[in-house]
Amino acid sequence: MSITQLVAGGNCAVPKESLTVEVQLTPTQLNGVDVDISAFVLASNGKVRGDEGMVFYGQPSPGNGSVALMGNTAGQATFKVNLPTLDAVTEKIAFTATIHENRQNFGAFQSLKVTVKTANTTVLEANINTGSMIESALILGELYLRQGQWKFRSVAQGFAGGLQPLAEHFGIEVSSPTPSPAPAPAPAPAPAPAPKKPISLSKITLDKSRPTVSLEKKTEGFGEIRVNLNWNRAATPPKTGGLLGGLFGGNSNGRVDLDVGCLYEQADGSISAIQALGNRFGSFHSEPYIELKGDDRTGAISEGEWLHINGQQWQKFRRILIYAFIYEGAPNWAQTDGVVTIYVPNEAPLEIRLTEGSNNLGMCAIVLLENDRGTLKVNREVRYFNGHQELDKAYHWGLNWRAGSK
Amino acid sequence: MALSLQKGGNLSLSKTDPSLTKILVGLGWDERTTDGSSFDLDASAFLLTAGDKVRNDSDFIFYNQLKSPDGSVEHAGDNRTGQGDGDDESVKVDLSKVPAEITKIAFTVTIHDAEARRQNFGQVGNAFIRVVNDLTGTEIVRYDLAEDYSTETAMIFGELYRHNSEWKFRAVGQGYSGGLKAMCDQFGIKIG
Repeated sequence: MSITQLVAGGNCAVPKESLTVEVQLTPTQLNGVDVDISAFVLASNGKVRGDEGMVFYGQPSPGNGSVALMGNTAGQATFKVNLPTLDAVTEKIAFTATIHENRQNFGAFQSLKVTVKTANTTVLEANINTGSMIESALILGELYLRQGQWKFRSVAQGFAGGLQPLAEHFGIEVSSPTPSPAPAPAPAPAPAPAPKKPISLSKITLDKSRPTVSLEKKTEGFGEIRVNLNWNRAATPPKTGGLLGGLFGGNSNGRVDLDVGCLYEQADGSISAIQALGNRFGSFHSEPYIELKGDDRTGAISEGEWLHINGQQWQKFRRILIYAFIYEGAPNWAQTDGVVTIYVPNEAPLEIRLTEGSNNLGMCAIVLLENDRGTLKVNREVRYFNGHQELDKAYHWGLNWRAGSK
Repeated sequence: MALSLQKGGNLSLSKTDPSLTKILVGLGWDERTTDGSSFDLDASAFLLTAGDKVRNDSDFIFYNQLKSPDGSVEHAGDNRTGQGDGDDESVKVDLSKVPAEITKIAFTVTIHDAEARRQNFGQVGNAFIRVVNDLTGTEIVRYDLAEDYSTETAMIFGELYRHNSEWKFRAVGQGYSGGLKAMCDQFGIKIG
């Protein structure tokens, strides 16, 4: 069966099933331009009912998870939309792309493509030619309920003013973006429920021009600090494996297995590492207060890998160096598009992209967390090394390294 | 209840509503809330003789010529943005005043400047066109342009025509490209 091609304005019916919605930007990346792809879950009036109506990097699977952002790497995002489990009030789900901090408009890109799939077939493709657009926030398309039938419409309209007017269009109250990465100073009483405040859409990208932020000391600690490593699993199609190799991507040929790990140094001077290799997964609630949440060997778990740090115990740490290494597959950082996001409760997510990769070195020191008199200082590193020993030496850690496998 | 017609649907008005003497053709859409050129939809009517052509330019009722000389067809005026609820533009027809030589009245809807603005009906929120019995307010037929004509920019919505001694309505639902000019060419209006 042929795949329906939708022009802007066009619509077609989709089955009421669990759908995958993919968004692909061309080119995938432009220097200094960070594109965020989000979804808005809307009632019949075209508005969200609350902050959980926004599915984005800061909140990838709100509510009952019927609409979830599964993967989000440079210029590409995948959503799962389970239409049968949606609540009855939801009548529309809009998919959007926004340029972070309005640094460009979509005219700088060539096109955006939305693909809607069921479990085993592609239902439609909507190509949006962005070449002359002045908008920096776009509604790409929408799934909507009409007379009992779910449909998808290609919209291709948006706002030159970026994320703010877009979010307001969908009824989201936006807090004004933080002009600088200043920490939130207000020390809240520890277990009190967080006051209802407008959803924060800000995200801080640590790059060469702004490599460091400091999060001010909090009497109750930093809570659960979650570190995510994600990468483009569509990357590195096997050049030699041909078409079938690409279809049956299950073999390790050409696939990259990226592992996240960290070196830590405690206040008493003890040092060690947390990583899947060597089965050193750690523990969140007891020593060492860092835990690796499973190992994504295939890259099929599109959330990537998570490292949780117990911020309540921040006073026990001197420094933590978070790194990624390529366990399997040829080092190809450019195509791997790795991105580390650090979520600290009540803070804007911090994002570090693994750019300027060195393709013959399999290890990358990504970010250094330092305890500076109680302050959580986050410094972007993104330095590449030829293995653990070299990295350890460069940062004067002092562990003994032996070859291992898992 | 009003009938919602799919593309190419057919309907005999006289059977549906035999009391019909005055009708209103209503066109509605939502004001644009995203950035970019406004959506400006135009309803027009062409009074046609047996050859499906106008007699002269005064048989073309549109935003620059709101009333036919005999008063049988009247356009309520041009809404350029779609602001407000309900019908944004309407054309009223008093069937009793239509001259005998006019055997058909065609109704069209077009997007103003569609090509330059790169717009089609599917990009316009909730665009519809409908026929209402103007004496009773009853809606007789409606097209949802944004759904069923989503990639078109102009269409002949329908036509009233004489059949023996009565009027009938045929839902045409034929999409065209080329906007209002294409419609004028079709019905014999020369654009200067």
